[in-house]
Amino acid sequence: MTDRIHPLLAVFAGLVFLFLVGPLVIMIGASLSDTNFLTFPPRGLTLHWFTHIFEVTAFKTTAITSLELAFAGTFLSLLFGIPAAYALNRFRVELPSWLSTVYVLPILIPEIVFGFSLMKSVTIDSGFPVWLTLLIGHALLVLPYSVRVVSASLAAFDFSIEEAAISLGSPPLKTFFTIVLPNIRAGVIAAFILAFITSINDVSVSLFLTGPGISTLPIQILAYMEQFFDPTMAAVSVLLMLLTVGVMAIVEATLGLTFLTK
Amino acid sequence: MNTMRKWNLSLPAALAVVLLLVVPVVATFTTTFTQPQGAFAPYLAFFNSGFRRTVLWRTVEVALITTVLSLVIGFLTAYVISKVPGKAKSVMIIAAVFPLLTGVVVRSFAWMIILGKNGILNDFLIWTGLIDAPLAMLYTEGAVIVAMVYLFVPLMILTLVGVLDNIPKDVIEASISLGASPASTFRQVILPLSVPGLIVGAVLVFTGSFTSYATPQLLGGERQMMMGTFLYQRAMVTFDWVGASTVAAIMVVVTIAIVLVMGRIARKLNPMAV
Amino acid sequence: MTVSLDIDNIAAHYGSTQVLKDLSLSVKAGELVSLLGSSGCGKTTTLRLVAGFLTPTSGTIRLGDRDLTRLPAHQRDIGLVFQNYALFPHLSVLDNVAFGLKQRKIEPAERTRRAKAMLERVGLADFADRLPGALSGGQKQRVALARALVIEPPLLMFDEPLSNLDAKLRVDMRVEIRKLQRANGTTSLYVTHDQEEAFSISDRVAIMNAGRIMQLDTPEVLYQRPANAFVARFVGFENLIPMVVKARENGALSAEAPGGALLQLSEAEFGPIPDRFVLATRADGLLVQREGAGIPVELGLRTYLGRAYQYQTTSVAGDLIANGSLSEPFSPGDRAVLVPKPEQCCILKPEA
Repeated sequence: MTDRIHPLLAVFAGLVFLFLVGPLVIMIGASLSDTNFLTFPPRGLTLHWFTHIFEVTAFKTTAITSLELAFAGTFLSLLFGIPAAYALNRFRVELPSWLSTVYVLPILIPEIVFGFSLMKSVTIDSGFPVWLTLLIGHALLVLPYSVRVVSASLAAFDFSIEEAAISLGSPPLKTFFTIVLPNIRAGVIAAFILAFITSINDVSVSLFLTGPGISTLPIQILAYMEQFFDPTMAAVSVLLMLLTVGVMAIVEATLGLTFLTK
Repeated sequence: MNTMRKWNLSLPAALAVVLLLVVPVVATFTTTFTQPQGAFAPYLAFFNSGFRRTVLWRTVEVALITTVLSLVIGFLTAYVISKVPGKAKSVMIIAAVFPLLTGVVVRSFAWMIILGKNGILNDFLIWTGLIDAPLAMLYTEGAVIVAMVYLFVPLMILTLVGVLDNIPKDVIEASISLGASPASTFRQVILPLSVPGLIVGAVLVFTGSFTSYATPQLLGGERQMMMGTFLYQRAMVTFDWVGASTVAAIMVVVTIAIVLVMGRIARKLNPMAV
Repeated sequence: MTVSLDIDNIAAHYGSTQVLKDLSLSVKAGELVSLLGSSGCGKTTTLRLVAGFLTPTSGTIRLGDRDLTRLPAHQRDIGLVFQNYALFPHLSVLDNVAFGLKQRKIEPAERTRRAKAMLERVGLADFADRLPGALSGGQKQRVALARALVIEPPLLMFDEPLSNLDAKLRVDMRVEIRKLQRANGTTSLYVTHDQEEAFSISDRVAIMNAGRIMQLDTPEVLYQRPANAFVARFVGFENLIPMVVKARENGALSAEAPGGALLQLSEAEFGPIPDRFVLATRADGLLVQREGAGIPVELGLRTYLGRAYQYQTTSVAGDLIANGSLSEPFSPGDRAVLVPKPEQCCILKPEA
């Protein structure tokens, strides 16, 4: 029938999945090795490197910073992004068409250029504290996800429902929370997840906005790797993968994973 | 009422982007044109330096090879995924999504373990007797490309599964009912209808790999300097901010050029965009 | 050139659910047969089995002397017209029509000539260079039709081809389809859920339910002489009254409706009547009278149909619908008697 797959193609796809999953499996193995250099397969098994993570205070503090940044940045991006997405859809014909492009500029401009420019202009020339610039950087970096994903949801929303509620006496702001928001819930959750993941994994923007006193986990990992090459890094990576598993479980539970292909 | 409301809602985010992104980036560009040596001096300096030309060329080369490999691998895999039935499809999508949600640092690092001197690949090759001493695979262009392909194949797969799933099933059945074999249907119907998705994927991968930092830093190191790592080195190691700004400007110009050119190609190849 | 389609005892499953049960159907050479039924009745499954997009779990499908059962779909040589047109969005109208000819390795000049001639026939010669996206629904369906016809297939199949068009266009298009089908004399299988469409276009219609053909006959017979209660309801018999014969003598008999009302029926007028049967009529088949021998009812809501008044009635035999004359209107709450008109009634076997 139409769904027959050529055997060679099936073998090829199998190899691709091996290529995709293999390195991560190897990393799990390496994190359990009792040698003090990175190797796979592990010579002997130990959880020592996982406990070692908690002995390096820099990992703990930067992990907390990363989580705070991801939550705060994502929240800010939604706070600004949802109203923008709403306006783009509700007043589609009345707003200039270039406006929607403005919101996605943060993903059109190379992240590293954005990070560098932010450091130069906002921290150094304007004297903003580093932590604030870092927060601004993350909030802006994830803004496009908030606007676009919520916007996609709103594009499928029938605004006559909102008008119906208003005609029945519900004030506009209340209508947004009681009528519009519940109907675009999936979009908001998706935007939150994508933004959160993007922020927590970011390297290129944070790169210039960290230093003594404040850093994010990915930057700390990069710094650690310049000095040591032991399985602690693999252990940290495994913990981050567990975070990914958690996020995927949330995605699956709330939206179903197929939303990612849309 | 609507007049005020539409601006009240849409402007805060837009202003934030303009003030905190556009203005700083433009300021970066401006510094490259306001040097005492002359308006284009930093660019002349860049292109007169053999080392810097090599960095630019290496970055373009790595990005191109990564794009082509990701396109081929991603498209064929996405085609398989789009054909398998429900349950297996979900498993394959999960396998593709998982690396995508895992950070760049973690994913690049995995390849350091594989390609390192004591890495699994060297161990394996020595065990098979193919080589006697470990090969220096890390800090080569090949290592960067492999890790970049690893980075971008999942993105390509997801983009293209979406595109392939959007091709109406009855269009494919129409082709078959008119006598086209599965192979002809792939060539004459599925491939042309996937072109817009392939272009979008190519743009994402090219710009992503052209401007990446973590992967070239970890797998290329000092020896395989690329635009991203070079920008960082100029800015934070040598504090040559004009030099760094020049690199930044060139990155943006190349990125925008690629987006525009590919957009043109897409419009040419995609007659559906009336 | 024209051949028959013979579907013999096919069964089909989706996973573990059986969607077709030992279905057999023959479409004679040059005939147009419709499969009519509500969604899930198996009509589209049947079409997809013939097209080769599904494989039957048992049974055979033959087209003329070719066995199609296990033949790959692209080798079956069937012209298929889809519900959503299924035009190739990246190809011009001309290339869409020429697509099948290209697969048949017809040389470019010849296939352009034939595709153009076919576009001429469906009245779209001026649209050859357009892309499908720029066409209206009716034009798209004409292109789909041309694309299926140009390969001169021995069998044409239509999968609800008109359901996306507006009412007026639907009528125009079905006339056009019938004309083209007649002119070529192509054996055709037509799937629809629209009764009027099926009856107007077909030589014969198969009414389907739950994976079976309930009755296969000409539209006239189906409309006037349904063979069972399902088909009777499907073609608009509103009143189905289960009856039991109490006494019979020389073809005259007395039958009892639920609740005890007695009807005097004659086999001379109604045809043979078994001891237990269902009396089926449309609203027009019941006379509304002040008094007499019939089913006593209380009249409810009256609606105006233009040619008659229609009454919703309640009786001990159940709720019945009857049309009464304009000259003698009744009011809600009136008592009346319903008398079946023999020529508009059917005697059916009791339902299981």
